[in-house]
Amino acid sequence: MDAVTYPDSKVVSFIGENLIPLQVQFDTQPLASDFNVKWTPTVITLDADGREHHRTVGFLAPDELIPSLLLGMGKSCFENERFNDALSYLEKILADYPKSDSAPEAHYLRGVCRFKSTHDPKLLKEAYEKLSKEYPSSEWTKRAYPYRLL
Amino acid sequence: MGDKIKWESSMDSALARARSERKHVLLDFFNPG
Repeated sequence: MDAVTYPDSKVVSFIGENLIPLQVQFDTQPLASDFNVKWTPTVITLDADGREHHRTVGFLAPDELIPSLLLGMGKSCFENERFNDALSYLEKILADYPKSDSAPEAHYLRGVCRFKSTHDPKLLKEAYEKLSKEYPSSEWTKRAYPYRLL
Repeated sequence: MGDKIKWESSMDSALARARSERKHVLLDFFNPG
């Protein structure tokens, strides 16, 4: 990550504009124990109270790290019931990084956020239909499978 | 922006900045090799 992804100009700009970056060695205590870190790189998205919302383990290229961080921020907003804020992060993934590994989960969570905002179950069905069309082999398409019946 | 990430090295300072700047924190555990 330090050799390839973090020096990338898009990554530098994205992190500078959107996040507070904190880097520690894998054996730094008590953080390593608090976050149960067993391998590196481990990248975790925290809210401003220090609560974890998303993590990845292993190398991510720049075009995977940025959508993964957007997903982390989206999940944080979702888990704090800030659905409109979550949607803005998730829709950026779908617009700018539709081929990324984070995109199927973003699609799924976007459907859930839209449902939570409106209580319209058709939005969950719509999420499944888009997932099955665009990401037929994704685990998130399988997780949305029951929504086809709504 | 600058050409390098300006990493914080303490959780307390990162969270203080996150609260004041209304941002999330990227926490990276690395192995210096």
